[in-house]
Amino acid sequence: MSDYNKPLPPPSVESEPFWDGCKRHELLVPRCDRCAHHWFPPAATCPECWSTDWTWARVSGKGKIYSFGVYHRAYHKGFAEELPYALVVVELDEGPRLTTNVVGCKPEELSCDMPVEVVFDDVTEDRTLYKFTPANDG
Amino acid sequence: MSTNLSGKYAIVGVGQSPLGKVPELGPIGLFAVAAKNAIEDAGLKKEDVDGLITRGPDDVYCHHQKVGEALGLNVTFSTSTANGGASQTMAVAMACMAIEAGVCNTVVVGYGRDTWSRTHRTAEAKQAVASRPRTYSEFGSEFGQFGAPVNYAVAARRHMERFGTTKAQLGAIAVAFRNHARKNPHAFMQKPLTLEEYLSARLIVDPLCLYDCSVFIDGAGAVVVTTAERARDLRQPPAYVRGFGFGNRLSGWYADDNMITTGAKEAGEAAYKMAGIGPRDVDTAQIYDCFTHMVLLQLEDYGFCAKGEGGPFVASGALEADGVLPTNTSGGQLSEGHIEGMLQVLEGARQVRREHTADRQVKDCNIALVTGHGGNTVCQSALILGREAG
Repeated sequence: MSDYNKPLPPPSVESEPFWDGCKRHELLVPRCDRCAHHWFPPAATCPECWSTDWTWARVSGKGKIYSFGVYHRAYHKGFAEELPYALVVVELDEGPRLTTNVVGCKPEELSCDMPVEVVFDDVTEDRTLYKFTPANDG
Repeated sequence: MSTNLSGKYAIVGVGQSPLGKVPELGPIGLFAVAAKNAIEDAGLKKEDVDGLITRGPDDVYCHHQKVGEALGLNVTFSTSTANGGASQTMAVAMACMAIEAGVCNTVVVGYGRDTWSRTHRTAEAKQAVASRPRTYSEFGSEFGQFGAPVNYAVAARRHMERFGTTKAQLGAIAVAFRNHARKNPHAFMQKPLTLEEYLSARLIVDPLCLYDCSVFIDGAGAVVVTTAERARDLRQPPAYVRGFGFGNRLSGWYADDNMITTGAKEAGEAAYKMAGIGPRDVDTAQIYDCFTHMVLLQLEDYGFCAKGEGGPFVASGALEADGVLPTNTSGGQLSEGHIEGMLQVLEGARQVRREHTADRQVKDCNIALVTGHGGNTVCQSALILGREAG
């Protein structure tokens, strides 16, 4: 664990509950109490109706690949041994899109609209990352 | 309420610094050289300048003051912009607005950056590249999201999936701009580029390869904007500002349909309306080309072909000198060099001034569209320049 060499930006005050959820292996997304809109990344107001009343909602973790790019050049030494690796944009069933990695699948096996579901990767004692894997029932 | 400013203002002078590897000048020095050349081109003097709108490296606080200090300028109106590559076309429009509002009369607009030297000037600079210190941002860096290319790779992939766009079609953009660059002695990339070489180039972020990415150079460009009335008494034929427009889809590149249809749609519609023209009236386009795919998207959004048909359009040879829409005729950022769109403002003005030699001059050029794109990928600004005021 201690030799983990990829960046782990510290959570902000607004994202800390999200990362705490990841540690519990729960995917949490802000959901508006007034209009039920889900959004990401976290922000203090609903971008649809500007309500400040909203709740961290545990979402299904199911979605599909919107698109992806496959890195053939390392911009960070922590990813050098991973080349080629894919940066994937996943659209959750609830609407928001997240940038992530898809595990259990080679870059050449990815395709747009492929169904995926969330998995959690406990990369250090303090941090857990949300990743996705091809959906079993896909 | 609205007043149509079409044809009331003009670019009356253009200037650039040395381009390429210019380690002896920093970003402010490059800008100062370009500004001096633009003012001289107009036949104006330092004392005539009472407005300054600038952009340079984001780590220079209050950039316009540093430029003004270097040029010994005191002005009534000055500011620096922060819309990334959409700033330069926007700044020309802002100059028109400022003059219209009566706060100044003659505005220098420009951009300069020592982009090549920042990573090559000294052994320390090269070492900094090798160790790659960077600012990390959450929801991206954890997963290996670094650099600009991935944003355009993701957009290109989605476009390919939805419309059948191909790598070879993106390659037609890179090849066309290289062909233009080879006629421009100041362009950084002079080597011929074939489609075969493009298709076998090393990948950066698949589907984008080396030749899909703009080339980082040192350099600066500047223009002088003043009233059409004053322009008629100056040294050069005016490049009249016939239209401008903006579209900033601030909800983000990854939201909604924003990486398929961009704010260029709104920017273009507003600019065409102001100018009283449509895409068919455009004789040459100078399209912001940080990456090939961004050219393809903008060509669709500015109405030169339907959404999804950008691939066949560029593959038809449309962007070449003898094509239906000679585009980025100085080589663009892909081959002339990345000065954040400023050199394309200059090229648009030069084309409507018809000052190029015959091999580079777009025949009977009356209208040039110049576009800007940037600002976390979602800001778009369009500028229409005309040989005539209306």
